[in-house]
Amino acid sequence: MDEILAEFIAETLETLEVLSGEVVAWEADPTDGSRLDAFFRFFHTVKGSCGFLNLPRFERLAHAAEDVLAAVRRGERKADPATVTAVLAVMDRIGALARGIGDGEDAAVPEAADDALLDALVEGASCPVDTEATVAAQVDEMVVELETNADLNPSARVGRERAPRTIRLPLALIDQLMNGISDMVLARNDLARKMRDREADPELESSFERLSANVADLRDMISKTRMQRVDRLYAAIPRMVRDLSRDLNKKVSLELDGGDVEMDREMIEMVVDPLTHIVRNSLDHGIEEPADRKTAGKGEAGLLRIVARQSGNQIVIEIADDGRGINRVALVEKAIKVGLVTPAEAVALTDDDKLQLIFHPGLSTAAEVTAVSGRGVGMDVVRANIEQIGGVIGIESIVGRGTTITMRVPLTLTIIPGLIVQSGGHYFAMPRGNVIELLHQNSSMVAIEEIGGARIATIRGEAYSLVDIEDVLGLTRTAIKGPRTLMVIRSSVGQPYVLGVEQVESNEELVIRPASPLVTSAGVFAGMTLPDNGQPMLLLDAAGIAQSAKLPLRDAQRGIVAGGRTPAVAREETMQALLFAERDGARRLIPLAIVDRVEDVEPDQVATSNGRAFVRIEGKLFPALNAAAGVAEPIKSLRLHAGHEVLCYLIGDVLDIIDVPPRLDVSLNEGRVAGLVMVGTQQIEMLDPFALFAEAARGSGGDASAVRPVHCLIADANDAWLSGILAPLLRQAGHEVTIGAGGDVSPDIILCSGAGDMAAESDVPVLTLSDDAGATGADAIYRYDRDRIMARIAELAARRAA
Amino acid sequence: MTDNLFLFASIAGTPVAIRASEIEAVVRLGDIVPIQRVPAHVRGLAALRSRVLTVIDIESRIFGRAMSIDRRPLAVVSDVAAHTYGLLVETVSDICEASSGVQPIQGRIDRYWAPFATGLVEREGRSHLLLSVADFVNTPSTAAKAA
Repeated sequence: MDEILAEFIAETLETLEVLSGEVVAWEADPTDGSRLDAFFRFFHTVKGSCGFLNLPRFERLAHAAEDVLAAVRRGERKADPATVTAVLAVMDRIGALARGIGDGEDAAVPEAADDALLDALVEGASCPVDTEATVAAQVDEMVVELETNADLNPSARVGRERAPRTIRLPLALIDQLMNGISDMVLARNDLARKMRDREADPELESSFERLSANVADLRDMISKTRMQRVDRLYAAIPRMVRDLSRDLNKKVSLELDGGDVEMDREMIEMVVDPLTHIVRNSLDHGIEEPADRKTAGKGEAGLLRIVARQSGNQIVIEIADDGRGINRVALVEKAIKVGLVTPAEAVALTDDDKLQLIFHPGLSTAAEVTAVSGRGVGMDVVRANIEQIGGVIGIESIVGRGTTITMRVPLTLTIIPGLIVQSGGHYFAMPRGNVIELLHQNSSMVAIEEIGGARIATIRGEAYSLVDIEDVLGLTRTAIKGPRTLMVIRSSVGQPYVLGVEQVESNEELVIRPASPLVTSAGVFAGMTLPDNGQPMLLLDAAGIAQSAKLPLRDAQRGIVAGGRTPAVAREETMQALLFAERDGARRLIPLAIVDRVEDVEPDQVATSNGRAFVRIEGKLFPALNAAAGVAEPIKSLRLHAGHEVLCYLIGDVLDIIDVPPRLDVSLNEGRVAGLVMVGTQQIEMLDPFALFAEAARGSGGDASAVRPVHCLIADANDAWLSGILAPLLRQAGHEVTIGAGGDVSPDIILCSGAGDMAAESDVPVLTLSDDAGATGADAIYRYDRDRIMARIAELAARRAA
Repeated sequence: MTDNLFLFASIAGTPVAIRASEIEAVVRLGDIVPIQRVPAHVRGLAALRSRVLTVIDIESRIFGRAMSIDRRPLAVVSDVAAHTYGLLVETVSDICEASSGVQPIQGRIDRYWAPFATGLVEREGRSHLLLSVADFVNTPSTAAKAA
């Protein structure tokens, strides 16, 4: 807090200094309104900052002055000399108080003296005409006090020396210093090499040792200049929470902890935005309104707690609220709606998977967009920002109890402990934070196997993907004497994996610089560094390597058996089946492999013709099973595929995805049911996909193809709309199209654009596509009603085939 | 008149000019550490005191063949968007003012140089193709978009 206070005082005094010129000008001409804004802003800022710095005296003064200025602005009050003087007196008092606090002497001016100033302000307002005398009297008093204050100055100056003295420096200067020190280290190393080549000289060596130690100390000190207390990160939060909770009519008590933890100033800047966003989210979506909290049996005021702590070479910042938690159902529904997951996949999501959805673009759980947050850009950007600086973000949420978001970021952007890795004659650095464990390849704890091209390293019973750095980077492998080294790597995007390298050289503190875009575009390097030997080295990007080696990522893993680390061998012993409810409610299984997707079908998408049902999806017709009972309301459909045959199996609902043994417990082979499978203590019928497709095919009159292509004849080849627009659509939908009345075509349907164009000489149905939007009737359809055209063609064709 | 100050060099035997305002220094580089999985014209990294340069092979970018370099190759050092680059050149003849400034290109230059040459600069009666450092340090995809 001291630091913020010091900053506030510095800022206040600075602004006063800037304003002092304006003060004089305003005094000379009080009617000049252009200066008013600058003063108004000053008081407003002071008032705002004081609120959370707990300086009620400042706040009272600033507030009164702000009120008066606001009245002047509104034209309710004239900026007469009396008012101006009173306002300026308040300004001076604020300056005096600020200096007093800066010197550690709060009581430089007794608080009671403020009342006189405030009275002067108010009196100016109540009797604007005849106040000059009183105000002048007050001001005299004020001047006296200022003089006393000036008398105090010598002692104040002494006090100033007691407080830590600071100056502001441009960051670039510190960076230059840092570079200078790095140069020095390189020069020292060079000197050390040269000294080794010469004869030993103890005297020279001891001088060199001293120089070395100094350089090392200097480097540590310069590194520290970049560190700042987390308080700085906290500075804006109390104000924001106060303002926001007022806007949202919520009560929030804020707890900030760990402000004395230090982190890199650049890192602080990178974390400000994500933190602000998370706090906004918490207030807006997390913490409930007082009435809701009461009904939920909680205190009226929500609790927002932000804690920072250092853990190893990471800073952990936790933002916890005791609000309503994250609504998983809403989140999953939204995810399905935007097509992120299919309903079937959604069923298989673990609770953690569901929470992770919040980090996907376009998912915001708020029912409506508010001004505060929930604009759809949000947590995805937060995650991207955190990961960009090598951090990790995690989330925990208990419905009704609250949400905790944890950000883990590296201590500093620029100096990280790293492992120097050697492979194929090259050196690379790997951030130590990414390395869980190092093992020799021939260690008894490691078993390496190759299955279908995939390499798996099993370490103490856990299976990891194994990738060699030479393969990722396209290096040639060099023969080495000893065993290769395996690094167990964790990255921010996926599951841990094992990176095989020739050997790990050493462990160094590395000064990391950003790499140029040409280098980062390779996707596997996170930056570059210049270690003490003076040879530039690239920093490996753990996540980039996993991506470029196409290792399974967290997202791709979704929908697979929970616990992706189950050895592949074990996984092959089961198969996945979709557990669903039939339309009559009976629970049945179907092999997941043949389920293409789960879709919501509207009643008007289902058409029945001659006992055969079709579902129309995206302008295509698919044979449907289970449609005999009619479809009165929206229903779910499993789209099953086998090769190029597709059918829609209408169901009640999707229940789950489970693992079942590939062999049935009881084979039945009766109709659609292949047999029974034991699931827990229940036996459930497993559908026979073969029988389903056979049934669909029988329904289409023994036609081999489930969706029978319709042969359309477009008689008038000169009709641009028919041949240019409709024909491609029809072909796309799988139909055959002939344009122009040829000799021996035998179409299923004839399409024309104008009534009577085509004499109905044969028994081939004729469909007239009118450009009259009101066209109705069995054989005339509005030409832009694509769905009806497609349905009609299919229907006519089906009737003909039957 | 710093705008008319140019560095005159040669690349693959062709005289070229680069605006002096784009250049920080001309140095001889030490060892170049190659980088994997980057376009061929990115030769590697080189240390220049405490800075690390990304070394660009202009010849390779233009002609698609790597420039043969000796032990301590000449490079033009340039800062673009907070990154430092070293662009390999064959020889450097001078840094001086060209009184006539930049002239439009006369004649048809071949397809290799065409994407990079933006004008002609004359020095001692000889024309030099004007190149810009920025054209060589963009990733090829962004460069293609710009073209």
